[in-house]
Amino acid sequence: MSILNDFNGYNPTWCPGCGDWGIGVAIKSALAQLNFTPSKVMVVFGIGCSGNMNDFLNAYAIHALHGRAIPMAIGMKIAKSKMPVLCIVGDGDCYGEGGNHFLHVCRGNHDITVIVHDNGVYGLTTGQVAPTAQKGFKSKSTPNGILEVPINPLSLAITQGATFVAQSFAGDTPKTVALIKEGISHKGFSVVNILQPCVTFNKVNTYEYYRQKIYTLPDTYDTSNREAAIAKSIEPEKEKFPIGILYKIERATFTDQIGSISQDKSLLEKDRFVNYDILLEDFL
Amino acid sequence: MDKRHLWKIGGEAGFGIMTTGQMFSKIATRHGYQIFEYFEYPSLIRGGHNTVEIIVSSDPVSSTKSIIDILVCLNNQTYQFHKHRLSKNSLVVYDSSDFNIDEGDILKIDLPFKRFLKEEGAPLVMMNNIAMGASLALMGWDLKILNQMITNQFQKKGEDIVKKNEKMAQLGFDFITTKYNDKILTLPETVIKEPQLVLTGNDAFALGSIIADCRLYSAYPMTPSSTVLTTLADYAEKVGMVVRHAEDEISVINTALGAAFAGCRAAVGTSGGGFALMVESVSLAGIAEIPIVIFLSQRPGPATGLPTWTEQGDLLFAIHSGHGEFPKIVLAPGDVDEMYECTTQAFDLADIYQTPVIILSDKLLSESHKSIMMGKFKLFAQNYKKRRGKIINHSAEKKYLRYKITDDGISTMLIPGFEGVYYQANSYEHVEDGHTTENAQDRTAQVKKRNNKTATYLRNDFKMPKIYGDINKASVVFVSWGSNKGAILAAMETLNNRAILSACLHFTHVFPLDSERIKTLFSNNKRYILVENNSHGQFGKLLRQETGINIKEKILKFDGRPIWPEEIIEYVNLK
Repeated sequence: MSILNDFNGYNPTWCPGCGDWGIGVAIKSALAQLNFTPSKVMVVFGIGCSGNMNDFLNAYAIHALHGRAIPMAIGMKIAKSKMPVLCIVGDGDCYGEGGNHFLHVCRGNHDITVIVHDNGVYGLTTGQVAPTAQKGFKSKSTPNGILEVPINPLSLAITQGATFVAQSFAGDTPKTVALIKEGISHKGFSVVNILQPCVTFNKVNTYEYYRQKIYTLPDTYDTSNREAAIAKSIEPEKEKFPIGILYKIERATFTDQIGSISQDKSLLEKDRFVNYDILLEDFL
Repeated sequence: MDKRHLWKIGGEAGFGIMTTGQMFSKIATRHGYQIFEYFEYPSLIRGGHNTVEIIVSSDPVSSTKSIIDILVCLNNQTYQFHKHRLSKNSLVVYDSSDFNIDEGDILKIDLPFKRFLKEEGAPLVMMNNIAMGASLALMGWDLKILNQMITNQFQKKGEDIVKKNEKMAQLGFDFITTKYNDKILTLPETVIKEPQLVLTGNDAFALGSIIADCRLYSAYPMTPSSTVLTTLADYAEKVGMVVRHAEDEISVINTALGAAFAGCRAAVGTSGGGFALMVESVSLAGIAEIPIVIFLSQRPGPATGLPTWTEQGDLLFAIHSGHGEFPKIVLAPGDVDEMYECTTQAFDLADIYQTPVIILSDKLLSESHKSIMMGKFKLFAQNYKKRRGKIINHSAEKKYLRYKITDDGISTMLIPGFEGVYYQANSYEHVEDGHTTENAQDRTAQVKKRNNKTATYLRNDFKMPKIYGDINKASVVFVSWGSNKGAILAAMETLNNRAILSACLHFTHVFPLDSERIKTLFSNNKRYILVENNSHGQFGKLLRQETGINIKEKILKFDGRPIWPEEIIEYVNLK
């Protein structure tokens, strides 16, 4: 049995009251409750306050580049398909800089879990606006308010082929633990978008704000109904934030469909190919 | 008797010119000749003008020449574009019902392509089979191998299609043997009895990566690197490789780095524009110390440039790619044999030094077919042994240190999954165990550690330039790198015949350079001539920067075409 403390790295340097504390605890709890050890998981971190968790979480991990965690996780999963792979990223990181990768990881149903810290701002660079911020949000880079409407990661994921799409709130640790566990256990691409108050730079989307605007999806909600999921996913446009699994279906994963990867042997474990002669006929 | 014959065919894009060339190359090699093929095509799929030229030789050959011996014109453009490359002995095959050619001092063969097609009710695309039949007749060969190839290629489409294609080839063949029997060439005797392979540089990279046990190849299509992607995709299941055509080049390189972090040998392939998108991640590989092989096939830039033509314009870009300071190794094979050798070595070097290794190719090397000895290739493949350096799959250390300070600059790299251990790789500066640091001492120690890899490489794995010719006796020494090798060797042969003794220093291991050892190859009493397929003389600059040697005489070509042996000879004679 593993315990949460097994995953404790350095002490976090997040601001007191930051939503990242709750997410950090939730990720470690989820991994411990799933009975993983730090030697049994691979984690890729983006760059930002969320990515700084690289130093605070024990695992086979890499603190990668801003926006590029997802393709790196795809490569890890292709190489070692039997090990769970997590991406711990921020909203600017994943939906801004790395937006293209997000579209395509959904299409590929790569069996990785992306945990997004969605706080509407770039915290580590001292509070510029993120692509998730509501229209009109004032920040150092948008003193007159952002002109663009916010990106909608949930509807984007559902429409681009993601097979597990969930949303949580950093102020609700038990729910976040449960959704991360569901995401990791899901066979296929999973994204958990976590609404995370930034107490230092976002004075709009506060704990209080979210407590008033979130609601938990009822038990009767059908997670396999794509149209219903899309309808739910666009509710944030009206400042209503559903919490729970919006969409979940089964579809063959990327590695399941690759002939070079078998169920019993990962790509790394396969025997080396040495029968070069059969290739040479094409060149005679 | 001339040992080398140049055959060239041209016609409208989309009419199988490239396939025709490949068949011609394979037929020539099966007759025991060595070949080098050069292919020109515009960046479009239909409507442009494509050409293939193949030099057929009884000796090793790796460049073409300027005088065309047999020019097969499937349209008037072929003739117009090449008439300046004809001599009085050149044979020009054309159809006078289609176009007329100028009266000139050439040998004309008026082959009624259009009439044959009409009489047989054959489609226009079969014109190349008539051309092949005629060409093989002019070379003094028969149709046996061609007919086998036609069967292999078309049997899925049915017996009728096979028969029709064979018939068209026969018509071309018979036309020559009955009407132009006196024009059939007398080829030199060939000594090669063993089987040869016909490979492009891209084929050689693909095969080399398979030999080296590369398990993941990731790419986004970009000429002239794309055929590595398509070739490996074709072989993936057979050889147990995963080939990912990702959404962009940034995803491409990060996918490969992810697989490499997880323990698989991984490579990416691209050209200059795609590589530009990758360079932030090259830097990541540098600091996080992740092995990766990058196949960079150059084409003329800047930006989209001349997509289907050739240049060596990205040498300094490759060497300086990535922000910050970190070790990097750049190899530039000069021909197909060196390509598969350098490729397997690149995977070893990437693993041993846990840093990016770039293989520089260009359109000329990547897409030109060349004959090589199959026996030599097989022996190389069988004898190849993977060297993974300090990559380990278990660790007895109590506290595993991924970035442990060592004298040679190399730490052990533990493949993830080993029980009881874990570590952070890091794009931030880090302490020995991988955790982030901003401490001055730790920073200095890690920079020195990474830099030390360069000294270790120069000591253990750097290869000095190959010396061709007798450098002590030579009055002229060419200094070059990469794919110019073939043209220089051909030029040297002609110069030597004219009593101008020359030699060549050809670099494959272009970065980093061992300046002290290289300096010993230069003396004051010779003419050194830098030969490069770019306008800045980039290797000359690099050599000067690293060794202080300044080569003043330069042959630089940057019109998208490869350097011809004749251009080198002309330069040497004029000065």
